[in-house]
Amino acid sequence: MASPVLADRPAATPDGPGRRRRPGFGRRDHLVGWLLITPALIYFVAFLLYPAIAALYYSFTDWNLRSAPNWVGLANYTDLLFDDVKYPHFWKSVQVSLIYTVIAVPLTLVAALGQALLINAIRRGSNLFRLLLFLPVVTAEAAVGAIWRWLYDPQYGLINAVLGWFGIPPQNWLNNPDLVIPALAFIAAWQCGISMIIYLAGLKGIPLSLREAAIIDGAGPVQRFRKVVLPMLRPTTFYLLVTGVIAALQVFGLVYVIFSAANKSVTGGPEQAGLTYVLHLYLFAFRYDAMGAACAMSFILLVFIMIITALQFKFVKQEAA
Amino acid sequence: MKKVRLAPIYIALIVLAAISVVPFIWMLATSFKHGPDVYTKVPSLLPLDRKTGEWSPTLENYEYVFDLSGLGTAFVNSVWVCLILIPAKLLIDALAAYAFARIPFPGRDKLFILMLGGMMVPTITLLVPRVFVTQELGLFDSQWGLIVPNIASVLDIFLLRQFFMSLPGELEEAARIDGAGRMQIFWRIIVPLSKPVLSVVTITSFIFHWNDLVWPLVVLNDPEKYTLPLALQQLATAEAGRAYYIMAGAAVAVIPVIAVLLVFQRRILQGIAFSGLKG
Repeated sequence: MASPVLADRPAATPDGPGRRRRPGFGRRDHLVGWLLITPALIYFVAFLLYPAIAALYYSFTDWNLRSAPNWVGLANYTDLLFDDVKYPHFWKSVQVSLIYTVIAVPLTLVAALGQALLINAIRRGSNLFRLLLFLPVVTAEAAVGAIWRWLYDPQYGLINAVLGWFGIPPQNWLNNPDLVIPALAFIAAWQCGISMIIYLAGLKGIPLSLREAAIIDGAGPVQRFRKVVLPMLRPTTFYLLVTGVIAALQVFGLVYVIFSAANKSVTGGPEQAGLTYVLHLYLFAFRYDAMGAACAMSFILLVFIMIITALQFKFVKQEAA
Repeated sequence: MKKVRLAPIYIALIVLAAISVVPFIWMLATSFKHGPDVYTKVPSLLPLDRKTGEWSPTLENYEYVFDLSGLGTAFVNSVWVCLILIPAKLLIDALAAYAFARIPFPGRDKLFILMLGGMMVPTITLLVPRVFVTQELGLFDSQWGLIVPNIASVLDIFLLRQFFMSLPGELEEAARIDGAGRMQIFWRIIVPLSKPVLSVVTITSFIFHWNDLVWPLVVLNDPEKYTLPLALQQLATAEAGRAYYIMAGAAVAVIPVIAVLLVFQRRILQGIAFSGLKG
């Protein structure tokens, strides 16, 4: 991490005969350093450090933006976890986000790995396919939500029309509680381009000699994939899994767009089937002005993400041992 | 033998590419259709007349969303926000990254680690108090409320610092001997040598902020100030039954970014492997 810093080396002798020729920057150099980071530092304090501390403080208060925060201790946390009259949909939102994560993340990884393997196997046109498969990633979630609502339209949508060719009857994707999460997970897999690019970089990093050795040993393509490619991609898969889970647990914008158009007031889809954790949090913060409770929810999420990530690290270490 | 095996791979890739691209074609086709042509029993990927099946595209959906539902204003707003935000952010990040990479001052590395630690906090956790800070600064419901709270990025500082540290120090030493100061070295040596990474950071920032929905959603109230994603979201709510308007709006939001992707594809796809697509 510490690379040779320019002024460190020649400045070792503070006053010497070669002082003038030494490429040092003088005493005011410290000042210049501080000056250059000042704008970034102000941003960091105002929009990262302070908000993080403030969120923790507000999570122990009853605060609705209009009056001063009122200290309530752990009440927000205990109410969220145990009071299903005050927060009837809290556990539902936990469940929705967990199911979404469990479906969407593996689906995304499999789609990304499949695409990367296919692209890695060809030469002609590989750049074109990479580009086309990447298009969904750069699309604004507002547009993604709008486009997929229309694709999933029960009467005139393209999805039902295509499924009709295979004899599958039309589904009301976004209004059927059982189909909402699979429908959302499919959109996530549609946007797997970043994972695909990272897998592709991982595949390029597998030494050719390993594959050749496997071929000489008589391993078929399936065996080569299982015994060589997958193990060599483990670090990549692990990275994508951890970041993918963190992102999936925070899914919000897309769900907001999809369901705000459906029933005007946001309720999280049919029977709250699409009420993700962060959508629930957003509603409490910005619709019901319950800032204290929203901050408590955000810290429950933070702790949960930390636990999940730590567990994944532990699991991988055990596997490796 | 090899040629025989390639065919199924290409077929699979064509199917996957179609899944990836057809939604955009469907969006464009719908956006160019006359209202009644949109709602047909057999969906068409071309703007065809519902009765005669003839080619009959129209621009009236675009005229409507631009003039009557405020997407024109939102487009201008989005352009302005990006024009101010991206260069300012790039400058602040690059200066800080240069100091973190090259200027030794006491406490520098501890401060850097603290900032990296701050990056680990999920953005959602910071959302509510960030809105509060924005309000306290008097920036709520204004375009500056979109710019100031996004004016730097720890991730970008990190990426730029890593790159600056990889540059050879000899050039700077030589410039120093010739009497150049820190700022001259920054502008004349570091910036020209860092064009690839600077452009990656610029492009990914642009894509992120152009597309960002959540922050404008919580900071803006006045429809006159909406950026494109927010205006599109409102359009999709208000015109829920009129897919042709919504798809025209979506196309307006999507096309500039796709154009940027097509022009800078190599830079973006290289940069993505390191940084993802976060602001």
